Amino acid sequence: MKIDLLCRVIDNYGDIGVVYRLAKALSALEPTLELRLIVDGLSSFSALVPEIEPCREEQRCRGWEIYPWELPKGQARQRFRAYRPRLIVEAFACGKPAWYEELVFDPADPEPRTILNLEYLTAEDYAAEFHLFRAATRSPLVRKFFFMPGFTEGTAGLILDRDFAATRERLSDPAGRQAARLAAARRAGLAFSAADAARLWVLVFSYERDFRRIVADLAAYGQQRPLLALVAAGRSSSPFFAAWEEAGRPFPAHQIPFLRQEAWDELLLAADVSIVRGEESLARAALGGRPFLWHAYLQDEAHQLVKVQALLDCMRPHFAPEDHAVLSSLFLAFNDRRVDSPASGGGEALLPFLERLPSLETGFASFARKLDSLGDLALHLLTFFREIG
Amino acid sequence: MIMTGDIHGGTVFKVGNDVYIVQRMLGIKGGRNGQVKRLRVKNIVTGSTCELGLDMGEKFEDVQLDYHKMKLSYIDGDTYVFIDQESYEQYELTKEDLGDNAGYITPEDDFEVEVCFYEGKPVGMTLPIAIERTITYCEPGVKGDTSGKTFKPATLDTGIEISVPLFCEIGTKIKLDTRDGTFIERVK
Repeated sequence: MKIDLLCRVIDNYGDIGVVYRLAKALSALEPTLELRLIVDGLSSFSALVPEIEPCREEQRCRGWEIYPWELPKGQARQRFRAYRPRLIVEAFACGKPAWYEELVFDPADPEPRTILNLEYLTAEDYAAEFHLFRAATRSPLVRKFFFMPGFTEGTAGLILDRDFAATRERLSDPAGRQAARLAAARRAGLAFSAADAARLWVLVFSYERDFRRIVADLAAYGQQRPLLALVAAGRSSSPFFAAWEEAGRPFPAHQIPFLRQEAWDELLLAADVSIVRGEESLARAALGGRPFLWHAYLQDEAHQLVKVQALLDCMRPHFAPEDHAVLSSLFLAFNDRRVDSPASGGGEALLPFLERLPSLETGFASFARKLDSLGDLALHLLTFFREIG
Repeated sequence: MIMTGDIHGGTVFKVGNDVYIVQRMLGIKGGRNGQVKRLRVKNIVTGSTCELGLDMGEKFEDVQLDYHKMKLSYIDGDTYVFIDQESYEQYELTKEDLGDNAGYITPEDDFEVEVCFYEGKPVGMTLPIAIERTITYCEPGVKGDTSGKTFKPATLDTGIEISVPLFCEIGTKIKLDTRDGTFIERVK
């Protein structure tokens, strides 16, 4: 079986991160599978997988063929003519480069082609409504379907790649967790002591915002239980450290360099509480089964609040009503903004969330088990392609 | 080529050899990078209907159509009779042919519509994107709520129901978007 994965990089590493994870998961499930990745942001891909060279016209990595979006005319294009696209995954309705579109809609090609539009992750009801729903194309030989990740039955679920599952297993063993946390920190360039390992680890990876209230609540909770912050490189780093400095450095906070995906997963799973953003990190945090706070991608007219409420509705059955009330209030306040800036937000209360951590942990673990029960998106995808022939 | 974003009620487009007209937008949902749409379409050659999805990554071949400016003359049951403003010829379309667009027009309207013809046969109608209609029923307005963020159902003078902001009253004239039936603004 040969599958083409197409991806355009919209927001740094989120989209390509999903495609990379999907490629890993598909290859692990079906070692004889031939994968061709056509990516418009090879430099972003290279940041996740340093073996990838951003400027090469064609290359192989982990057994995959990797091509740039604008593939120059040459041998590589000839290869696509010889082995025409038959099974295609368009990540997030990314469309196709013109040269590829020509091949897919070539009227002289009599064989059927199947495209799955792997859509963005949402907890809204429409994920189940659109999953595997037929999408129109201009050719009867090109069949297209929506393929919806999600948090509920009737969707494709989330990608449960083996690397992630193994890391989660390792970090969920209470006997080995502290040592595994220290190892994860080491791989992120942090030399932590056993005392550091015993602290509450709070991972911060959001869009830019006002962190003064978050830092104040962390500082207050730090009086009860020692904690440290692990601040990921990127948009939240500078405003977080500004608030932390302004508060007089009330707890240890460490800048995390950009990490390759496997190391990032490990650190996320090593953290006790995480603030995550977008969709890929949300999926990892949710599957990780530990308390998290989600910063949703900003949308027009604050539509992100609809998406946050939908997620909260999915999570509701897994939490005691009073825990869910605290969770809802925090998630909605944290996401109530019209713009991402170091001055936006600030109306949220993290402290009540932190004070309920023991019971919240049970709820988040239950939610993760529910997500596991939906199965692996990559396996669902392979099964669909096999069945459709 | 017709891009996915250009497809709405009344749009005619080709899927393979089939020519479809959009009768109803069943759902438009937004993601970060666009929209997914679910729509009910009618094959204008065979008359059969089906549901289709659309994503933002596709484009479709144009269909050769002729458009004639007309006014709705009268409605007889489910038949809508249009009159060509130049030739004064009359053409009939059924309510089903018009799909959602049937809910935006009355014979009293002073605006013209474009009836589209495929191979000489009238198959549908396109409307101005924004039209004005009057609310004939809704729950009383909420004074002071001018945010426009909270909505309530309202019946229009054409008989269809749409969502309008809480500040609207019976008799309020509004502007709405005929592509998806959403409220645009109150007409002052």
